[in-house]
Amino acid sequence: MSALGELRSLKGAAAPKQRKQNKAAFLFLLPWFVGLALITVGPMVASFALSFTRYNLLSPPRFNGVENYIRMLEDERLHKALVVTFQYVLVSVPLQLGLALVLALVLDRGLRGLALYRSAFYLPSLLGASVAIAILWRQLFGVDGLINIALGWFGIEGQGWISNPETALGTLMILNVWTFGAPMVIFLAGLRQIPVMYYEAASVDGANRMQQFRHITLPMLTPIIFFNLILQLIGAFQSFTQAFVVSGGTGGPVDSTLFYTLYLYQQGFANLNMGYASAMAWLLLVIIAALTAINFWASKYWVFYDDQD
Amino acid sequence: MRGITRRRAGFVAAIGAATLVLTACAGNDAGGGEAAAPELKLSDEPVTLSFTWWGNDTRHAATEEIIAAFEAEYPNITIEPQYTDWAGYWDKLSTSVAAGDIPDIIQMDEKQLSTYAANGVLADLGELSSILSTEDFPEAVLGTGALDGTQYGVPVGINSYTIIANKDLLDQYGVDLPDDETWTWDDFVATAEEVATASGGAIVGTQSWGFEDGGLNNWLRQHGESLYDGAEVAASEETLAGWWEFLLEATEAGATPDPAATIERESGGLAESFTATNASAFGPWWSNQVQALRDASGQDLVALRVPSTADGSAYYKPSMFWSASAKTEHQAEVATFLDFLANSEEAADLLLAERGVPANEKIREYITPKLDEVNQTVVEFLDGLAPEVGDAPPATPPGGGAIETIIDQHTQKVLFGELTPEQAATSFIEELQRALDDAAI
Amino acid sequence: MTKTDPSTDLAPLTESVVTGLPPERVREARRRRHPFRKPVTSILRHAFLIAAAVLMLYPVIWMVVSSFRPTELIFREAGLVFDSFEISNYVEGWNALSYPFNVYLLNSGLVVVGSIIGNLVSCSLAAYAFARLEFTGKKFWFAIMLLSIMLPIHVIIVPQYVMFSQLGWVNTFLPLIVPKLLATDAFFIFLMVQFIRGIPRELDEAARIDGAGHPRIFLQIILPLMVPALATTTIFTFIWTWNDFFSQLIFLTKPSLYTVPLALNAFQDAQSSTDFGELFAMSVVSLIPIFLIFLFGQRFLIKGIATTGIK
Repeated sequence: MSALGELRSLKGAAAPKQRKQNKAAFLFLLPWFVGLALITVGPMVASFALSFTRYNLLSPPRFNGVENYIRMLEDERLHKALVVTFQYVLVSVPLQLGLALVLALVLDRGLRGLALYRSAFYLPSLLGASVAIAILWRQLFGVDGLINIALGWFGIEGQGWISNPETALGTLMILNVWTFGAPMVIFLAGLRQIPVMYYEAASVDGANRMQQFRHITLPMLTPIIFFNLILQLIGAFQSFTQAFVVSGGTGGPVDSTLFYTLYLYQQGFANLNMGYASAMAWLLLVIIAALTAINFWASKYWVFYDDQD
Repeated sequence: MRGITRRRAGFVAAIGAATLVLTACAGNDAGGGEAAAPELKLSDEPVTLSFTWWGNDTRHAATEEIIAAFEAEYPNITIEPQYTDWAGYWDKLSTSVAAGDIPDIIQMDEKQLSTYAANGVLADLGELSSILSTEDFPEAVLGTGALDGTQYGVPVGINSYTIIANKDLLDQYGVDLPDDETWTWDDFVATAEEVATASGGAIVGTQSWGFEDGGLNNWLRQHGESLYDGAEVAASEETLAGWWEFLLEATEAGATPDPAATIERESGGLAESFTATNASAFGPWWSNQVQALRDASGQDLVALRVPSTADGSAYYKPSMFWSASAKTEHQAEVATFLDFLANSEEAADLLLAERGVPANEKIREYITPKLDEVNQTVVEFLDGLAPEVGDAPPATPPGGGAIETIIDQHTQKVLFGELTPEQAATSFIEELQRALDDAAI
Repeated sequence: MTKTDPSTDLAPLTESVVTGLPPERVREARRRRHPFRKPVTSILRHAFLIAAAVLMLYPVIWMVVSSFRPTELIFREAGLVFDSFEISNYVEGWNALSYPFNVYLLNSGLVVVGSIIGNLVSCSLAAYAFARLEFTGKKFWFAIMLLSIMLPIHVIIVPQYVMFSQLGWVNTFLPLIVPKLLATDAFFIFLMVQFIRGIPRELDEAARIDGAGHPRIFLQIILPLMVPALATTTIFTFIWTWNDFFSQLIFLTKPSLYTVPLALNAFQDAQSSTDFGELFAMSVVSLIPIFLIFLFGQRFLIKGIATTGIK
């Protein structure tokens, strides 16, 4: 407690209420505004307009009202895709973030060869979406994979984890957790952003390591945790390539790994229903936006900014 | 906003192109087919054509050599290659068509041909007939590239569905190679089960089927049906259900592997398949995959006829087509290059059987002695099949490309017991018909 | 790491000035923050980390080992088998496509460098505005920024392609680089906003009292203090661009412009044979640059306020 109090007093008084700085802001935002107007908004509006059409890419789109949206209500594969995606997001995002945070704390400082460890832990994330990932994953979780060999040592008979509808999604969650390198790097950077003097002051007050973590590291890191949460949330909802390469593009077995964007892709490009795919994209946008908004609202209660009033 | 207006401009252009094609076709019909084909003349100016295909590095290298040979012969024409793998190919092609950037020469697949043709993307090759000759192609094979009498694609290679048997494994477990002239589906499953049992579970009897339409087409034809009739799904629920029922029985009998293993191998493609890794005695494949499978397995693989093959139930499927853009500004040059690809011995020398056994009969005769042993057996197999070969199945209607996901998904549901074969048949027809209706113009 | 970092060794002194505490107490405090200095715990920690690293790296190691094996054996006798050490996959894979592999590495390099510069400049400018300036509709624009990354690429790419095609930019690197120069990678803006908000405002207040304007505060105060965020942006932009397949597939058609992911993709064909030995070999080659970038770049990650101290 005292450490946090100290922290607040170190920050000094709240920043004075500022007048608008529209001109400066406009100049700083100029590249972004140009990009927004020329590159971002056009395709966004176009995809919104296309969501009210039948569009097969090969011929001009034809207006069909809200038909695509009505169809989404009845589309059982779409509902399945939503369930799969929500399960995936709810399980893999917290797991991945937790692991990333723990390892960032371990790898922050105080040990020889940290650069190598960090790189080693980050390496899996570098593999990206290459076809190698899919093959490697079958080598691990396949019928004759490493996991089953290891289970065999203990006399347990394994199964085809990757192609059993009960476990396939689980292996993709593990795949996502396995690539925790990205949030870990961001946590590492965030940890280094915390001024050392806060710790010094807390130490002088006799705070132990656990207290320091709870009262300094954690609150100071909340903006970064929050950022990672939003980043991983949006990323997980849009997650595509891993399911695509591992299932060979089908979302199988039995649609158990049919991620929302994978189904969207199948509709848009394999079935040439770009109108429907666009409608699906906007539903996804609404879902992600709503969850992000909730998170921003909730962040008032747990995210601590150094520049707050 | 800007994106939208630009798009609209693109669409207007696309409509224009489509109208042009329609009028061109109409003119052709009125004039009585090929006789009305205009005389094409090569330009005196240098011309650049774009040429797109899918494949692997071997095909890319062979095709680039063909391009070089062509450019040496026609110094005025430059061919710009564009290549990708199968999945990326269609994403890229449809996107570029949306913007009106259609490659001049396009490698086409049977399942996509009608979709692209119906949307006015592909040229009527009859228009190019003053340069592009198709006289060395058998009528029936050439017909697979035509829709309602208009030729949209020149067949490149021919293929047939086959059961590949691993002779080394059969020998090892003391099972005789079955006689494929007489064997029935029950014989097939019984033999597969025999091998699996003899191996004590070391290998599986046969790979499962049901992951693409080749096997289904054969089954339907043996039952006197076809998958499509025009833009309608024509397969009956009984026959479809029977097909999946039979797969289930084979799985229960131990002739095919358990579902999880099947799906796992299936998502790994050819390289990780049971056949390629010598883990099964039999497997259903296309004849043009024999070479790749032999290379991967290193054992003696032979192509057998599909069980119960009877008069007219077998068919030759074109491995792919050469098509041209309806919007090309250089018809004469496109025709010249297509003619080089389809009819020249030079191109054949470089390509050999990389795109399948040539559909062009003259070229096939010319090239056969030059093929390696494996491909010669494939040619023999295809020739030997000739008496049983009937007309090609009705062309895949627009939107039929969706069958790839639909068939795969339903077979998985049957294997994992989520749907009974009967339910799967009903749902399959419903979903496929929906895809066709979506694509209807 | 800590020992080799000279700025940290001097830090107790500087910090004792800042905090007004005697240097010994600061050192004492610092020591407490590193309780793993004891050899036993340290060895345990290394053992744990090495075990975890091996587990993490097994698939990668499998790929490296397989890249030295003949293609036909990779799946026929799968598993981690050290039965051959042939570099032929590397030699042949390097030259298997239309151009030697260095062409693709260079192309990817160009796209990556352009994207990094674009993201660093444009995103940091925008982030400064969002984090430090008060302007009309700030919340609205911030929401728009986040919304712009919520649509999946698959529905955006077609309208984008139509647009870039009209501009005549298809088959150049422009559609891949120009958007980054215009801060369309909004993730990084958000990332930098979070970091800038972690920098105490007193610093810019002090500079403002000295008469510095926003450009100077941005360049002289904020930028040096957000090196970790810039390093993160650099590393991520590098990796994401290096691995990005879909947009490069759509926008680049000439083989001479192909980037590493497109080249790797040209090796495979699920319907027929794929030369996995060569594919793995070239995948390993393409991993080396990003691995090196990370290995050397990560030192900038740890160069935060913690070591630069507070003036």
